[in-house]
Order: sequence, then C-alpha cells, then structure tokens
Amino acid sequence: MAFPLLSLIVFVPAAGAAVVMLLRSDEAVRWAALGFTLLDVALAIAMLSGFNTGSSEMQFVEKHPWVPALSITFALGVDGISALFVFLTALLGSVSVLASWIAIDRKVKQFMVCLLAMQTLMLGVFTALDLFLFYVCWEAMLIPMYLIIGVWGGDGRVYAAFKFFLYTLAGSLLFLIGVIVLYFEGGRTFDILALMALDLPFDIQSWLFFAFLVAFAVKVPMVPLHTWLPDAHVQAPTAGSIILAGVLLKMGAYGFLRFSLPMLPEASVYYSTLMMALSALAIVYGGLLALAQDDLKKLVAYSSISHMGFVTLGIFALNPLGLQGSILQMFNHGVTTGALFLFVGLIYERTHSRSIADYGGLMKVAPVYTGFLALFVLSSMALPGTNAFVGELLVLSGGFAANLTLGAVAVLGALLSAAYLLGMYRKVALGPATVGARFKVRDVNGRELVAILPLAVFVLWVGFYPKPFLAIIDSSVTHLLQQVHDRGNGP
Amino acid sequence: MTAAALLASILVSLPEIIVIVGSSILLIGGQLLPKGKDALLVWASVAVVLLAALATFTLSGGAEPAYAGMFVADPFSIFFKSLFYLSILLTFLLSRNYADIEGIGGSEYYVLLLLALAGMMIMASATDLLSIYVGLELMVLCTYVLTGFLRRQQRSNEAALKYVILGAVSTGIFLYGVSLVYGLTGTTQLDRMAAAVGNDPLDQGLLLAVVFIVAGLVFKIGAVPFHMWVPDVYEGAPTTITAFMSVGPKAAGFAVILRVFLNPLVASSNVWIILAVIAVVTMALGSFVALVQDNFKRLLAYSSIAHAGFAILGIVAGGADGIASVMLYLLIYTFMNLGIFGAVIMMRNGNFSGEVIEDYSGFAKLHPGLALLMLLYLFSLAGIPPTAGFFAKFYVLVALVERGFVLLAVIAVLLSAVAAYFYIRIVMVMFMREPVRAFEPALTPLVGITLAVTAAGTIGIGLFPAWFLKLAQQSAFGG
Repeated sequence: MAFPLLSLIVFVPAAGAAVVMLLRSDEAVRWAALGFTLLDVALAIAMLSGFNTGSSEMQFVEKHPWVPALSITFALGVDGISALFVFLTALLGSVSVLASWIAIDRKVKQFMVCLLAMQTLMLGVFTALDLFLFYVCWEAMLIPMYLIIGVWGGDGRVYAAFKFFLYTLAGSLLFLIGVIVLYFEGGRTFDILALMALDLPFDIQSWLFFAFLVAFAVKVPMVPLHTWLPDAHVQAPTAGSIILAGVLLKMGAYGFLRFSLPMLPEASVYYSTLMMALSALAIVYGGLLALAQDDLKKLVAYSSISHMGFVTLGIFALNPLGLQGSILQMFNHGVTTGALFLFVGLIYERTHSRSIADYGGLMKVAPVYTGFLALFVLSSMALPGTNAFVGELLVLSGGFAANLTLGAVAVLGALLSAAYLLGMYRKVALGPATVGARFKVRDVNGRELVAILPLAVFVLWVGFYPKPFLAIIDSSVTHLLQQVHDRGNGP
Repeated sequence: MTAAALLASILVSLPEIIVIVGSSILLIGGQLLPKGKDALLVWASVAVVLLAALATFTLSGGAEPAYAGMFVADPFSIFFKSLFYLSILLTFLLSRNYADIEGIGGSEYYVLLLLALAGMMIMASATDLLSIYVGLELMVLCTYVLTGFLRRQQRSNEAALKYVILGAVSTGIFLYGVSLVYGLTGTTQLDRMAAAVGNDPLDQGLLLAVVFIVAGLVFKIGAVPFHMWVPDVYEGAPTTITAFMSVGPKAAGFAVILRVFLNPLVASSNVWIILAVIAVVTMALGSFVALVQDNFKRLLAYSSIAHAGFAILGIVAGGADGIASVMLYLLIYTFMNLGIFGAVIMMRNGNFSGEVIEDYSGFAKLHPGLALLMLLYLFSLAGIPPTAGFFAKFYVLVALVERGFVLLAVIAVLLSAVAAYFYIRIVMVMFMREPVRAFEPALTPLVGITLAVTAAGTIGIGLFPAWFLKLAQQSAFGG
C-alpha cells in the first residue's frame, strides 16, 4: 500500500483537535494548534512537490471500503484543480490560529477544537473522490462554523449564525437529493470518477444542474442568495472570516468544477450564458454595495461577492483562459481576502472600531501595517504585478471570448473595485493622523508579521511568476474542458 | 394442536414467557422487599431483560412459525426485540435516580415496564391481527398507567386520562377494521388474507377495512391526524416514561405497520398514497409546531411526531430497502432520542425541572462536557453528518429515490431543514447565552452509562454505519 499522504493531511488537524482537548493551559492549546496546522502545511508542501503536473489523473489516490452495502467508499485523491486548494486550506489554517492568538481570550480550547475540526472537514471536501464522503464533509462543516460564529462572534452573532446555518443547510439538502439521484443513474455508485463518465439525458442533467446550483450558489455566494454572507462575516471572529472567505466560499465554485461541469456537461453548456449573467450581476452589484459601506469588514465582505463573481464568470466561460483564470483567482482570493480580513481583525483588536470614519492617517502611527495593507489592497484591485491581476486578466479574456457584452459588464466591476478599495485606503491610511489622537495604535508585532508574510509572498510570487501555479492547474483544466465539450454540445 | 407442536411453540415464544413470568415474580417479590432496597428491583428487572435477550439470540435462525400461524420468530422480530431490550434497559438505568427524586419508586413501576415490553415483543412477532391486538393492548394498558404515575401532579393525571380515552377509541377503530377483514375474507392471518381475496386487490370493502386498521395503528405512532395526544401525554408523563414511549412502543407500532402494510394484499392496493400524505402532513405539522415550543418535553414530542413522519416515508418506499431503512431509522432514533431524554432527565434535580428551554442558558459554560453530548444528540436529531441521524435520513431518502419518489424526497429534506431550526435553537441557548443560575445535574453513574451508550451509538453508527446497515438489511423481510 502506498504512503497515505492525503489521509495524513486530512486527519492531522483532527488529531490536533483530540490532543488540544486534553491540554489544560490556554498557552499550550495555542502552541499545539499552531504546531498541528504547521505540520499540515508541511505535508501539503510535500504533496505539491510530489505532484505530477503533466498528468490530469487523480494522484495520491487512496480507497477503502466504508459502507459496502451501498458501495460507499472512503476514497481520496487530488488533481490540479484540488491540489492548490488543499495547500491554501492548510496555509490559512495556520494563519487563522495566529490570527486568533489574542483575539480569542475565552474558551480558547473549544475554539481551537472547532477550528481544527473545520480544517479536517474542509480538506476532506477538497480531496474526496466519493460523493457521499464529499457530502458528509460538506455538511458537517456547519457544526463547527455555526459555533465559531455563534459563540465567539460579535453582538449580532446569534442571528448571523442562524442565518448562515439555515441558508447553507437548505441549499445543500437539494444537493443531497441530487447526489442520490446520481447514485441510481450511475448504477449505484458514489465514485466521482465513474459518475463523470456518465452520459445522462438532458432533462435529468437540467434538473440536477439546478439542484446543485442552489447548493453551490449559496456557498459562493451568488446574487441573490448572498445575504447570509455580510452578516456572517461581520459577526464572525477574525479567524472565522478568514476561513469563510478563504476556503468556504471556494467550495461552491469547486462544486461547479468538480460536479456540474464534468457530470452535467450538456446542461452546463446550455445554461452557461445564464450563469455568466448571474456572475456579472454579482460583480457589479457586489461592487456597488461595497462602495456604500462604512464598516471595514462589510466592505471586504461585499467585495468578496464581487470577486467571486469573477470566479464563476470564468468557470462558465467554458474556455481554457476563463477556467485557468478562475481557479487561480480562487487561490488568489483566498490569499488576498484572507489577508484583508486579517488586517481588519488586527486593527479592530487595537481600536474596537470597524467604522472607516473613525480612522485617518493610520500610516503615521502604524507604517508597517499600512504598508502591507497597501500591498493587499492593490492586489485586491488587481494591479499588475500582484496575483489577482494575472487571475482577473485570464478570467476577463476568457469572458470576452465567450460573451462580449457580459465581459464588458464585468470590466465595470474591476473599475468599481478600484474605487471602493482606494477610497477606503485613502480614508484609513492617508491624511492627518486623526486616528492617533483617538486611539492608541501600535504597529504590527512579530507574531502578526509571521501570519502576514507568507500571504504577502504569495501575492507577489503569483503576480510576477504565475507559471508554477498555472502548471499545476493546466492539464486538469484541459481535461475538464475536453469532458465538457465532447459531450456538452447542446440538447 | 399436538403436544409436540405446543412445545415447539412454547420454545419459540420463550423470550416472551420469560418476561411475563419474571415480571409476575417481581410483582410479588417487590411487595415483600423492605424499603430502601429499590436498587435491587432495578437489577432484577435488568436481569429479566438480559435473560430474555439471551433466549432470543439462542433462538435466532430462520423464520419459526408458532401457535398455528399467529406468531413467528424471524430475523425481523429479533431485530425489533433487540431494539426493545436496548430501550428498556436504558430506561431502567435512567429511572433509578429519577424515581427517587419524584417519589415514584416501587415494584409496580418496573413490573409495568416489563409487561409493556412483553406486549411490544408480541407485537413484533405477531402475524395475525388478533395476536397483534393482544400485544398492542398489553403494551398500551401498561403505558396508560405509567403515564399517570405522578399521582400528585394534575397534568400527569390529565395526560393519562386523555391517553386512555383516545387510545380506547383508536383501539375500537382498529378492531372494527379487523372485524371487517374477518367478515370479508374469513381469516385474520396476514398471509392468508392475501390468498383469500385472490385477484381483486381493489375490493372496496377491504380498502375500507384497511383504512380503519391504518387509523388504529397510526394513532400508536403518533402520526397526523391522530397525533393530538402526543404533546400532552409526553409532557404529563414522568420523563423516563416519555423517553421510553418515544422509542419503544413507537418502534413496536412501526413493527406492526411494516408487517401489515407490506403484506401483499395491502401492498398491491393504493394505500401508499394515504401513507405518503400522512407522512408529509405529519412531518410538516411536527416541524412547524415545534418551532414555537418553550417546553423541552413538548418540543421533543413534536420532534418525535416529525420523525415518525420521516420514518413512514420508508414504508411508502416499500421493498427490502424501504423496510430496512425504517428499521435502521428506528434503531438510530432510539440512541439519539434516549440520549437527549437522558440529558433532560439528568437535569431534574432538587427544585429544578429542566423542562423549560430557557433553563439551559449558558449550560455549555457550566458543564462543557454534558453540553457537548447534548449538542451531539441535537445535531443528530437534526440529521447533520457525521452523526447517525444523518445516515438514518439518508438511507430513507435512498429508498425513496430508488422507487422514483423524488418529489417526496425533496419535500422531506426541505421539511427537515425547518426541523433543524428548533434543534439548533437549543444549541444556541446552551452555547451562546450567559448562564442565569447555577445548577447541578443529577449525573449518577447509571445515567452516565446511559449517556455513554447513547453517545457511542449516535456517533458510532454515524461514522461506521456499515455493520448496522447490513444487520437491518438482513433482518428485513420481503427482499
């Protein structure tokens, strides 16, 4: 039997949760959580370095029977589409632990257990090769996330946690029925690869497409199913926001890539214009809402809706540029928006205010903080030389090739993002140092820098040299498009 | 009946005989027991159940008909009997301390539970409408008395009275259906009924008879439109009895329904439409009305109505998978529901009732471990993976979709999203509110064992459902 690297990656955080439960002091809990998440990062790097970029096959595959009577297996594997997310999830796991180091000061142990459990489930989602396993992980995440928002969140946390829980639950239940229908259509199998090879009649594809769409669109989130997101983000503790924006939102888009496109190719092609239109709507609408915000966290939350619109736009452009761009953009969004939430969290810890109006001239008081903030703001608005520029350029090229009008609408979103991000930065960082008079703000310390630096490295690395990242994605994207276009040419 | 056939029949029904003889001995012995030796009663009752279980498992094999076709010991009945043993054993463990606090100790309590168990066992094995009736009455008569066991409490008396009157009416309806069947076919045996009707499954008279029988049975599992007694009886009865009634007698009711409904005669008629409607309405009513409950026991009553509705969907699906899905559902429900009731019973201490949901404010802060356990049961009841409750629902949905009832499956999952709300509301109260007052749960070792067993079942079946699924599939008939 081969070395079970993926199982190890998935279960190291769970083991960490078990260990953390036994510890007594908060300090020990923090260090143990950090240790286990760092170990997970190391394992993820080992996985990436052993990854064969020339192949579109699933790699590091493991398969064990789980419920033989229903032919459910415990099957893991990664291809170019999931490999990057496994790494991203592991990376953001350590960042979240660092981000909650002092921000979480009560029930530290329980918090870290939730965080680590969350990590195992997220990694399970990205590596599952069995639809049942995928669904179990996908749905089980509701429990720790509900607690993270509801127990450690802000004043309106209970409402936000309920809303998050019920939206996602209601969305994914239809998906569950879809999964069971697929199981029978595929001749009683949950094997994802076998299901991809199915040739379903168009009406069934169509039905399944919408059942899946509800689940994935809630997670992305696409307008008009997005209203849970600002509430959840604003109320969640910093680590919760990082996980939400960095990983959770990716799962909806990942669902489109992993299930909708290859399993329902005809429906995906048929409804691609509709999906692109919804994406363009999300880009512009999210941007406009972000423009109107005074709350820092809300601004970043709405910008997420806009940015995730680019991701779904790229996916349903159904061409190589769009698809590559959207996968890369998902990774970028995880890094950049994760970082922005971290920055909001850092300043909130110091001042207990998230209102943009309370700030001004932060640069004079905290130069390192504002310097890095500038980098991530520029990355978020996709300035050349940063990661998002590469991704957004690819997505827009793909989008224009697929549909000129909708591509043009999406460009508007890029303009809007420059407006709200630069506006925010000007009000917060530049001008006379009014913030210093109001609050006592110290600059970032060493621990915080440790959390920020890797994210900054990825912003520039992808920005200047995206080749290794695109190489990981490339063969899988080609293979996926082949799957779609071979069988997807209209009903 | 020859002596040899009689002996064989007695052997097949040995577990029932053990329970009945054991309870009779306990009834007499309990009167002679000096005060303060109540613990002995618990252990004696447990011993009787274990003895019966032993007899059941040594008898296990193929289907053994007995008493001229009125009774059978087959894997199906053994599965249900095991489930009954499990639920009654856990009830005994929960009862000891609770009975002390409420002052309802005494041998009658345990004897009545044992007799109810005997009734349930007969129901699981009965293959004749008359033997079903005997088992059913034995069971419900005991639960009527147990419901009113808190003699000094008005609501307990009221609940018992309500239960007796409504129960008697439903029994009358059931018997009327039985007499119609006998009049039309000349038999009350389930397998001969089908043969007697021959090739006219849509006989109007027979359909009417079936409707009456349905009505009688549906009452026992608390499905709409015969659900009205459930919240009042659940609230009024001693909590241990509520816990027991929500799993044991309910499972017995389902055992009978499965036997009657998957009889070829009934299966070939269109009775599934009635059942589908009952299932959907039951789920909807249970879920929506539970949303506004403040009393934990009432909430669990409505939750159990909703769960009954979900399980009925498995009967609608029919076939071997459908039957197995109901059986697995009931097994899992036993674990998670006894778990949550165990937690509620544990709260009853001193002047603290633990019945109002608001009482649980900040429970997680005071008792993190116990709160985590309750969280487990609640999420399982809501059907969130990786708990067993998810797998129970999943398997019912699989059976439904297999038979092409996709729309029913969609309705079922949407209604369970509604139901999820009130379970996570309790989680919210426990984890996200500040404690109002401190209280010490009555966590005796026996209650601890119950919670440990139910927690192990709730998470264990969720993570490793394979063995239990196989057990249910092998015990289902009709495959």
